[in-house]
Amino acid sequence: MKKSISLPVRMVLYALLILFAIVQVYPIIWVIISSLKDSQELLYSASYALPKRLYFGNYVHALKMSSIPKAFLNSTIVAVLTLGLEAVLACPFAFALSKLQFKAGPKLFSIVLMGMMIPTFVCLIPMFRMYNAMGLRNTYFSLVLPQLGFGLPMSVYMYKSFMEYVPNSLLEAADIDGATTWQSFTRIVVPMVKNATVTIITYKFIYVWNEFTYANTFMTERTMKTLPIMLKDFAGEYGMIEWGPTYAAITMAILPTLIIYFFLSKNIIEGMALGAVKM
Amino acid sequence: MRSKSKLAPWLFSAPALIVFCAVVVIPVVWTLVLSAYKWDGISPMKFIGLKNYAKLFTDYTFHKAVLNNLKFMAISTTYQFVVGMFLAMLLSSVTRGRNLLKVIFFVPCIISTVALSQIFIKLLALEPIGVFNVVLSALGIQPRAFLGDPATSLYTLAFADAYKYCGIYMVVFYSALVGVSEDVIEAATIDGCGWLRQFFYIKIPMIKGVCGMALVMLINGTLKSFEMPYVLTNGGPGTSSEMVATYMYKTAFSSMNYGYSSTLAVFLLLECLIGVSIVRKMLPKADIE
Repeated sequence: MKKSISLPVRMVLYALLILFAIVQVYPIIWVIISSLKDSQELLYSASYALPKRLYFGNYVHALKMSSIPKAFLNSTIVAVLTLGLEAVLACPFAFALSKLQFKAGPKLFSIVLMGMMIPTFVCLIPMFRMYNAMGLRNTYFSLVLPQLGFGLPMSVYMYKSFMEYVPNSLLEAADIDGATTWQSFTRIVVPMVKNATVTIITYKFIYVWNEFTYANTFMTERTMKTLPIMLKDFAGEYGMIEWGPTYAAITMAILPTLIIYFFLSKNIIEGMALGAVKM
Repeated sequence: MRSKSKLAPWLFSAPALIVFCAVVVIPVVWTLVLSAYKWDGISPMKFIGLKNYAKLFTDYTFHKAVLNNLKFMAISTTYQFVVGMFLAMLLSSVTRGRNLLKVIFFVPCIISTVALSQIFIKLLALEPIGVFNVVLSALGIQPRAFLGDPATSLYTLAFADAYKYCGIYMVVFYSALVGVSEDVIEAATIDGCGWLRQFFYIKIPMIKGVCGMALVMLINGTLKSFEMPYVLTNGGPGTSSEMVATYMYKTAFSSMNYGYSSTLAVFLLLECLIGVSIVRKMLPKADIE
């Protein structure tokens, strides 16, 4: 089929594709290159030039000037809690919806799906007051809870569509052999939807790791800030003067996502694309 | 499978439903209530009925924000749709390196908005001259402060946002295009249908359900856009790139006007729901593949 495209046309296609590929990754490459230049070079050489020699001092400075390791830890804790709880909550709910016939099921599902259309800011003020009153501000739960709630519709949807492939006869057989509903769920369904769990957790990781709005609103204490907020503060404080360390801080903040993306790009792309068109 | 007890499905659903109610349902209702009050968060709440809604009609900044938001939506949606489709067309026409290219195109989608915005601020800067302006002056175009100039800030913001997310729609369109049956294309090729015409007369019409869905999500997403505008320009300079969401956020957390901010939030909610349902009505029914 593909042979119908002649060689010159194919050359043009590749040229365009490569051009776009460069455009898409250039900002990342640029910031990594710039983070390896010393202050003299940043000041006097052209901003697109390669560094004359590799200089790692910016990273040392950035680490000294800010609490990047602490922010890194905060981001990790929030991500682990959110993603773990998300699977724990969404999987049984999807199981009840797809395998246990109950009357209210379809109605509940459509209500939860509506959550996908609600902009998160609509809930920001009540959340702020609630967390304030309960003393949850500046705790990990002020970031975990909202992301959990607003993440549920998509996760439930994904789990449910995976569970359609679990044959009912399997569950009926287990039933006849005397398995309880809970046993069927944990021993049959959970292992069978492992792929869904992996996809949901990996693509959600990207969103949770990069989450900005809640973290910016609920985390005001310096020691509780996550990476994106730490980065915003860093750039606000030093961005105009200490260029090198700012570039180094940006690089350090995006490196974990790039590494995870490198290994799990298939799951991440699949999950994000699914999230973009299904509702 | 029929559960043995009536209680079982509820036990399985309860944890998720409780969290969903606490995080989504209760706050939405609370916001609706708040929008009828005047409240700064400290002094007692004062019921003022629909006065906050009446204020929407006279608030100049709000009008500006709505207008900006619509322009932003138009530019960002068009860019993401067209570039996403274009890349998907190119990608589905080549064989070697498909996956690698797909992974590369997707990179901006996984980078945090804060990090990407900080990079953009430097690349688009005039003083010291950023790479983008260097390229422009090499092409003989007058460099300018794209983010600092009220005339260009909104457009720059819209393009930055579209640039970040267009990879997602590229993947969506790509998967749909690849899924088009080879037989149809084979037949078209035999009939002498060229590469470009194959897309416009066969492939794209065949995936119009996916296109419609993508359009709905793009419009919904760009109407409630917050992160990129807040971090990249913060609505400035002046109100030149103010969005409804950034204005709402500032009204709540800078001016401490919770009541009016809730009204803006309700507006945003209605705008998203109405906007989406209009688009859905206009589109042909999505066909199930």
